[in-house]
Amino acid sequence: MAAYTETDVLVIGAGAGGAAMSKRLSDDGIKVVCLEQGDWLHPMDHPHFYDGWELERHRAWSWHANVRMFPEDYPTTGNTEPMMMNGVGGSTLHYAGAWPRFKPVDFRKGTEHGVEGTIDWPISYEELEPFYAINDAEIGVARRTGDPGNPPRPEGWGPANRGGKVGHKMGRGFDKLGWHWWPADNAILTKPKDARLPCNDCGFCLGGCPRHAIASTDVTYWPRALRNGVDLRTNARVERINAKHGRATGATYIDRITGARHEVRADIVVVAANSIGTPRLLLMSAQEGHPDGLANSNGLVGTHLMFHSWSFEDFWFDEPLEGFKGPEPAVLYSQQFYDTDTSRGFVNGFSLQVGTALGAANSALGTNTGNITPWGARHREFFNSHFGRHALIYVQGEDLPVRTNRVTLDPEVTDSSGLPAPHVHYDLHENDRQLIEWGRRRAREAADAAGGVIDTASTGIGGIDGPPPGWHIMGTCRMGNTPEDSVTNKWNQTWDVPNLFITDASSLTTGAAVNPTSTLQAVAVRCAEYIKRRHGDIRTQTRTPGNADAPGF
Amino acid sequence: MVDLKVSFAGSKPPLGGWLPAVSLTDRQAAILNAAADELIPGGDGFPAPSEVDVLSFVTRYVTPSGQEPKWFPFLGEDDFKARLDKLGEGFVRASSTQRVAVLGGLERDEPEFFGHLRDVVYYAYYSRPEVVHAMNRVLRAARDYRTSPLPYGYSDVMADWDDELLGRVRGSYQRTADVRRVDVPAHLGKAGV
Ligand SMILES: Cc1cc2nc3c(=O)[nH]c(=O)nc-3n(C[C@H](O)[C@H](O)[C@H](O)COP(=O)(O)OP(=O)(O)OC[C@H]3O[C@@H](n4cnc5c(N)ncnc54)[C@H](O)[C@@H]3O)c2cc1C
Ligand code: SF4
Repeated sequence: MAAYTETDVLVIGAGAGGAAMSKRLSDDGIKVVCLEQGDWLHPMDHPHFYDGWELERHRAWSWHANVRMFPEDYPTTGNTEPMMMNGVGGSTLHYAGAWPRFKPVDFRKGTEHGVEGTIDWPISYEELEPFYAINDAEIGVARRTGDPGNPPRPEGWGPANRGGKVGHKMGRGFDKLGWHWWPADNAILTKPKDARLPCNDCGFCLGGCPRHAIASTDVTYWPRALRNGVDLRTNARVERINAKHGRATGATYIDRITGARHEVRADIVVVAANSIGTPRLLLMSAQEGHPDGLANSNGLVGTHLMFHSWSFEDFWFDEPLEGFKGPEPAVLYSQQFYDTDTSRGFVNGFSLQVGTALGAANSALGTNTGNITPWGARHREFFNSHFGRHALIYVQGEDLPVRTNRVTLDPEVTDSSGLPAPHVHYDLHENDRQLIEWGRRRAREAADAAGGVIDTASTGIGGIDGPPPGWHIMGTCRMGNTPEDSVTNKWNQTWDVPNLFITDASSLTTGAAVNPTSTLQAVAVRCAEYIKRRHGDIRTQTRTPGNADAPGF
Repeated sequence: MVDLKVSFAGSKPPLGGWLPAVSLTDRQAAILNAAADELIPGGDGFPAPSEVDVLSFVTRYVTPSGQEPKWFPFLGEDDFKARLDKLGEGFVRASSTQRVAVLGGLERDEPEFFGHLRDVVYYAYYSRPEVVHAMNRVLRAARDYRTSPLPYGYSDVMADWDDELLGRVRGSYQRTADVRRVDVPAHLGKAGV
């Protein structure tokens, strides 16, 4: 038996970007090996059927790797705790499936203001649109077309998720103010697809979906990629991407079960280990010819980390809203304040998204903001007046790509395989603070317009955990215009190593004011299409072409 | 698929808590019940925690002796039992006012432990079918609320969008090529990579 495996393309990471890439390449018969440090999730590993379903959010279904501490997780150090999941499906195993698209303006923020590290995307919304559409069709999106605040989008696989009483009430509030709003697109089935059941409005999406209604890639892309013959290796933790003479040759991984090391050799290597894991791996791959890490000759790997700026605003009303029903991601969104208006004192804008909130225990423990029901004599009165009468409005702002917000290696702390932990540093820019403060006041106005507010609570700037909670981790290996401003060209090809590609949320140039996964997957699908069509060129390139002279489609 | 529960026994918290649950002596059970009854007093149509067996839930989430209590609610068997023993028979016999004073002291002096105890009692109480049925009866907002999200879900009782309201929505966007420079406030001026 050979001491190594050979393949056409090696993909690292089986999450949102890696799965889309593996499936699309293998559709055309390209031989793909995918290495994933985690394992498959079993349908019974979701908490929905247990009486402790609400409690499990703090244990097995914690969003924080440092709290879960599973063997497939790696710890993070630094001043913030980004949220992610490691396994077949990556962080989509955990995500809520909110599925907005970036708006065209998001692709030209460098032109619009260029503040801090902001640059233009090397592509436009219109160029990316066909790939949004392909990805939507692959995974099955619930959507209501006709939003006048966004370019037209294709019909969804099914209609938008129903808004329930929360959607109806908040929709009336926005309507009263004359503000834009629309039912949210969600990567959630509202009619059956493949072997997946449609959503039955159970109300607990952030523990994954045992009905497979939420489009996590273990139930969307992976079954089809495996039928195409992709060699997906689980519990395979990559420790180094190997390179020789300026080209990637493959990777070495550790089998987490046996501890043995293996090598995979490939013509093309695609990294999709997310915006923390990807820079971590590139930095760990420092070697001869690449002393500061792979693809890092300009020192930009790990920089310009974005999380979105946040505030969670909980409102309780004087009437039943029954927010325990219906899927958990945004019921509806308002993009009334999406565009830059510098008379407000800041650049960029935000989405107001309206969400729901779990069940009785979560309500007793203060919903999203810790407005906890007192123990003792006042318990009953407080609980009874708050349960099922709540709506969450969250302010989701576009944060600036700040160069010093970055991922580095922490030599002091290691994962269960002895590899260095990533150190994550993130500070909110003053611009983003002002934006969120301004947005919080708009959230209050919307709740007041809906009418009947009896109590409020807020996390304030930074979401639930102080610094922004990092649900959306973006931008640490961004695509750009020149080798001086970015890590990859407009085809996700690293400037330093022509056959090394990056197709996860690290490649996002700016973060917009919406959830990122539909965009990062559209970028991954576009990149897969490029690799498919230009396989021959890429195999022989000795330097990465500039955006103008790349062969293109 | 590798069964990580076997391969990594003890490295993941079991869903639903540990089975068998940690067992308490009658006195320890009485103390825990008495504390729970003060945290969430029954009445107004709601049962007391001690009447609905919050104990069986809480004891599943106490980490058995010999294992590190590294997952929520961070209660380890030996320490937890020792704390119950310390409250002692006197706590069970005390009046409600006296118990509230003891719990108030615990909240003040050992906020972390108190917080974990309170939280797990809240989780336990509001998971009990009798409590959910009481909510169904008493609270208008909870008429259809169920003990767990699945298998049934709520599609049968879910309101849809108001088409008339949606017909009034206004909004706009620009194409990528139409984006123009804005006047950046001076305090934000710096551009760069
Ligand atoms: C609780 C939560 C809710 C969210 N909700 C939403 C939402 O509603 N909408 C939305 O758009 N986004 C949401 N997100 C964000 C979304 O999940 C991410 O944007 C998306 O999954 C990122 O995709 P990715 O490809 O960059 O990385 P991931 O999906 O995280 O995949 C990376 C994979 O790489 C693997 N990996 C890393 N390092 C290695 C290594 N060295 N060797 C082998 N494998 C490795 C990891 O195990 C992981 O499986 C949410 C995230 C969380 C945590
Ligand atoms: S609400 Fe729907 S999508 Fe969410 S977990 Fe329940 S069934 Fe799945």
